[in-house]
Amino acid sequence: MSTNEKIRFDAIVVGAGLAGSAAAMVMARAGLNVALIERGRKPGGKNYFGGAIYTHAIQEVLPDFMERRPPFERPVTEAGFWFLSSDGGLTKMMTSGGKLANEPADAYMALRATFDLWWAEQAQKEGAFLIPKTTVTDFIRAEDGRVIGVITDRPDGELYAPVVIICEGVNNLLTQKLGLISHDLVPAHQALAFKQVLSLPMETINARFGLPDAQHGVAASVLGDISLGLPGMGFIYTNKTTISVGLGVMLETLIEYRLKPYEVLQRYLQHPAIAPLVEGGQLLEYGGHLIPEGGWREMPKLYTGGAMVAGDAASMVNALHWEGTNMAIIAGKVAGETAVVAHQRGDFSEQTLARYEEQLREGFILRDMKQYRNFSKFLDTHPQFMDVYPSFLNDALGNFFSAYGKPKRQLFKEIYGSLTGRRPLFKAVGDIISMGRAVLGW
Amino acid sequence: MFHALVAVKQVPDTTNIRIDPETGNLVREGVPAIMNPYDAHALAEAIRWKRQLGGKVTVVSMGPPNFVVTIREAIEMGADRGVLVSDRKFAGADTLATSYVLAETIQAIHEEDPIDVVFFGKQAIDGDTAQVGPGVAVRMGLPIVTYVVKIRELDLERRRIVAERKTERWTEVIELPLPALLTCEKEIAEIPFAPLPDLIRSLRYDPEMWTMSGPLEFDKGQVGVRGSPTIVFKMGTPPLPEAGEKIDAREVGVAEAVKQTFAKADAAGILDTVLGGAR
Amino acid sequence: MTTRRFWAFIEQEEGHAHPVSWELLGVIRRLASQVREEAEAAGDEVVVEGVLLGHNVGHIAQEALCYGADRVYLLDDPVFTHYRNRPYYKTLEEVAQKHEPEVFLIGATTLGRDLAGAVATALRTGLTADCTQLEMGEVKGSPQKLLLATRPAFGGNIMATILCRQNRPQMSSVRPRVFPMPERNPHPQGEIVREAVSVTEEDALSRILEFVRPEGESVNIEYADVIVAGGRGLGTAEGFGLLQQLADALGGVVGASRPCIDAGWIGNAHQVGQSGQTVRPKLYIVAGVSGALQHKVGMQNSDFIVAINTDPDAPIFDVADVGIVGDLYEVIPAMLEQLAARRKARGSGGGHQEVSA
Ligand SMILES: Cc1cc2nc3c(=O)[nH]c(=O)nc-3n(C[C@H](O)[C@H](O)[C@H](O)COP(=O)(O)OP(=O)(O)OC[C@H]3O[C@@H](n4cnc5c(N)ncnc54)[C@H](O)[C@@H]3O)c2cc1C
Ligand SMILES: Cc1cc2nc3c(=O)[nH]c(=O)nc-3n(C[C@H](O)[C@H](O)[C@H](O)COP(=O)(O)OP(=O)(O)OC[C@H]3O[C@@H](n4cnc5c(N)ncnc54)[C@H](O)[C@@H]3O)c2cc1C
Ligand SMILES: Nc1ncnc2c1ncn2[C@@H]1O[C@H](COP(=O)(O)O)[C@@H](O)[C@H]1O
Repeated sequence: MSTNEKIRFDAIVVGAGLAGSAAAMVMARAGLNVALIERGRKPGGKNYFGGAIYTHAIQEVLPDFMERRPPFERPVTEAGFWFLSSDGGLTKMMTSGGKLANEPADAYMALRATFDLWWAEQAQKEGAFLIPKTTVTDFIRAEDGRVIGVITDRPDGELYAPVVIICEGVNNLLTQKLGLISHDLVPAHQALAFKQVLSLPMETINARFGLPDAQHGVAASVLGDISLGLPGMGFIYTNKTTISVGLGVMLETLIEYRLKPYEVLQRYLQHPAIAPLVEGGQLLEYGGHLIPEGGWREMPKLYTGGAMVAGDAASMVNALHWEGTNMAIIAGKVAGETAVVAHQRGDFSEQTLARYEEQLREGFILRDMKQYRNFSKFLDTHPQFMDVYPSFLNDALGNFFSAYGKPKRQLFKEIYGSLTGRRPLFKAVGDIISMGRAVLGW
Repeated sequence: MFHALVAVKQVPDTTNIRIDPETGNLVREGVPAIMNPYDAHALAEAIRWKRQLGGKVTVVSMGPPNFVVTIREAIEMGADRGVLVSDRKFAGADTLATSYVLAETIQAIHEEDPIDVVFFGKQAIDGDTAQVGPGVAVRMGLPIVTYVVKIRELDLERRRIVAERKTERWTEVIELPLPALLTCEKEIAEIPFAPLPDLIRSLRYDPEMWTMSGPLEFDKGQVGVRGSPTIVFKMGTPPLPEAGEKIDAREVGVAEAVKQTFAKADAAGILDTVLGGAR
Repeated sequence: MTTRRFWAFIEQEEGHAHPVSWELLGVIRRLASQVREEAEAAGDEVVVEGVLLGHNVGHIAQEALCYGADRVYLLDDPVFTHYRNRPYYKTLEEVAQKHEPEVFLIGATTLGRDLAGAVATALRTGLTADCTQLEMGEVKGSPQKLLLATRPAFGGNIMATILCRQNRPQMSSVRPRVFPMPERNPHPQGEIVREAVSVTEEDALSRILEFVRPEGESVNIEYADVIVAGGRGLGTAEGFGLLQQLADALGGVVGASRPCIDAGWIGNAHQVGQSGQTVRPKLYIVAGVSGALQHKVGMQNSDFIVAINTDPDAPIFDVADVGIVGDLYEVIPAMLEQLAARRKARGSGGGHQEVSA
């Protein structure tokens, strides 16, 4: 093929997930000609999460997002922890009101099939060119090793651009190919999350969860007798006419105890406290997905000449909070901005792209990541945490679940403050404290 | 130069179809729309011949504006031109009204740029009728072969095509003069994985939109609901038949369960007739 | 007085009638009887008629009378030696225009489907494909009863009843085996009317160069008396070996659910169900099939259904005459054993048993 037949863009984004579309949006808005490559038939089709999406991150990329009618399910108006005991009991620690009554809400339930599609459409509206049904398999490099394009699985499938942003999600094959991370994530550093989406009439969901209408929704993290006492955590979210329910267990644990994901999920669904909530629901979806839980230590280097990596591919996930979308979006945005700067300078070298990581350090992502670096290790050594009933005071939970972009350390200070001002009520407080140590380094 | 025309329809992926348990209605939300698989294979065959003989492939579809997705997919596979015939007045068409609009459209294209072969899918997987292809052939006065599994010969000079069609009994090898209309089985050709430049071209492609107001004049009485002699009188879920008796082999033992089963079959006069036949 | 004509297309190839033709005559006779009262009140006559095209097929016309036709229009000409779309549809268009049938049914075979769409378009009338239920019923605003044609839609999850208000004939195609075979009357009354044939070889616009007959195994599960069918519950392709043994012992053939075909465990000629064959055997033994709607519609009209499934709540039990909750790998060998014992009993002291049977 002669040179002038080459397909050229100003920037290429790999993966139209949360991070990818955010990056594409920012760059296209700045006038770059952006290719957004997605392996699925449509963005979101194969993507998976719990889930709730936090609006502070969306707002940073799209201040007028509410006018663009995002396909949210219900707002999170009630959030907290549910603790299941092995004798069938359920203790709830939920917050509502306060920050959770904000408009627009801090977080909304969403389904990826509709949300990611909308999110990518916003990138397209800014001028990004979405190329679906195409998988990036490798990079094209200049003589000095700099990335100058990508190779896809299609015939004549090369695409050129001076900067490539990799937002490929947890199966970070390309990130590995770039040498940013040297090995596959090991089972010890990945959780396997699996969930079902069950369809129920709106009124039934309202009645079972004690919600006045579909403008109210519950997001709960479920602990205790859920993963057979093994390190893991469940979740349950109310959508408009469906319930998303699932759990995550460390991959290593599944392997070690020879557990079948489906059996663990069945057991969870049959727990006397959960069964009546999901009873009669028609199964719409069942699937699993890996979550990188290695934390800070597993985070790859975030850039190299001509390329940056953002979102799950860079292990930017907060295991304790089922959070990842917000970090993915912010990281995508910052990577996109960095690419714009690189274009202004006409320099795509490693030195220029280093701005990406510097900017992230200013923000909350990296600080949070560091703070949680001990969390998964803590779960390994304290499996009893999953079986007892740790607790936080109600008002503190409000803070815990409103991820409005403050670094988590600051939030925990607020929580800790209110916690110490009262008498500890639960016998498991010792565990909370050691969890606190793990998380915060108290 | 070869000119093939392929009729393509967009259909819901019926392997994913669900019915709302409360309303009994079809849940369209989240059901992916795809190019009717038979049409995709027919298109693949048309493109294969285009590559072999030189020429072009035009696709035509009748349906709502969101069918552009399917036309773009056809362009991605290698079609050169796409026409979407779309108008509110076409809604509610049965196969007779559909064959009218398609036949008029294909005829108009044929008059401006003569067509050698018109390809249809064997049937659309949403309606499963297999009626539109023969209907268009009748309206256009074209010879037709249905259920084609292979084109043996396509001779533009001698103006003939030899196709294989599969029936329950045998495979027929049929010769037709050109232009001819074929309806195709999936075996006719594998769907190729399109090169990246074709995909990019297709994503930027905007099909021609033909409507009631032009460029063709359609007869109002023959399109949409007005042009459809059939109407849906009612819809329902299939009735449940009465269940028979259940024997739990885990309780009574396998041998006993079989014995009881055979006794019931005997009582119904089944086993004797059957065994009589087996002897 | 007008004559209300109820038509069935009599399908034949190489001088052999397709049995669906007789099934159609059975249905059409029932439909005709549903308007008899109304017709008598209006002083109209109701007749059941068959239309037959072919070459040297007088014997089939005679058979059609035996299966219930009052009259058979016979179009006998060398141009019809083998089925081809154009000569057939043009001729049917012509005879239908001449006699103006009220209802016209065609078998939903490969031949019938090729033909029905063309005829309906030529006559500018409505055609409902693959009907599973047919009735003549009253419809508001219509002076006469209309054909209510019910067919599965949207992957079989919904049944739609379709009617054709104004245009005539009201046409439907009907799959083989959906309706029962009527009794054969060896001494029929009806008449055979030979019609003139106007199409010529030139009108055909097509020539059949060759017939390639399939070699080796060819199954015809459609008209089998006994079918032993298996599903994903077999677990492996080898499971069909066991089913084949049982089928052999019963003089039957093997059927399968779609996932088995998709997995390549067995050829698609064996598929029972909506996208496979509709069957109506005397005995249908089904093992390791959950009983999805799409499978059930293909087999629920069987005379006697035995279902084997480990899951006591499997929906297949809803259509079974006898359901065995158990592992097919235990149940089927037990069946084989007991059948062998029966055969032995028949073979030795069998005379006694047969007399008593
Ligand atoms: C069960 C579960 C529950 C969760 N719950 C929540 C929650 O409630 N709230 C929350 O904020 N976070 C939650 N998370 C985390 C969150 O989903 C992720 O952190 C977030 O989706 C990461 O976004 P991303 O853009 O990095 O990756 P992804 O969303 O995974 O996107 C990657 C995209 O790249 C595409 N792709 C991959 N490789 C290629 C390639 N080679 N070529 C082309 N395209 C490619 C993929 O198809 C995909 O579209 C949850 C995760 C799981 C698994
Ligand atoms: C448009 C459309 C058309 C379709 N057409 C057809 C069609 O024509 N024909 C068709 O069959 N399907 C068709 N399907 C597919 C259909 O919906 C079902 O998916 C299919 O019938 C299921 O096949 P199955 O019962 O073999 O498998 P499954 O549903 O997986 O059932 C397996 C069963 O085996 C049982 N089992 C497992 N082990 C054993 C054992 N050792 N002993 C006894 N029982 C055991 C299980 O309890 C279970 O009930 C169609 C689907 C669509 C959407
Ligand atoms: N609306 C439509 N637009 C284009 N082609 C169609 C349309 N409907 C049917 N067809 C074609 O006709 C074939 C048979 O469709 P059907 O008769 O609906 O089963 C399909 O495989 C298509 O090739």
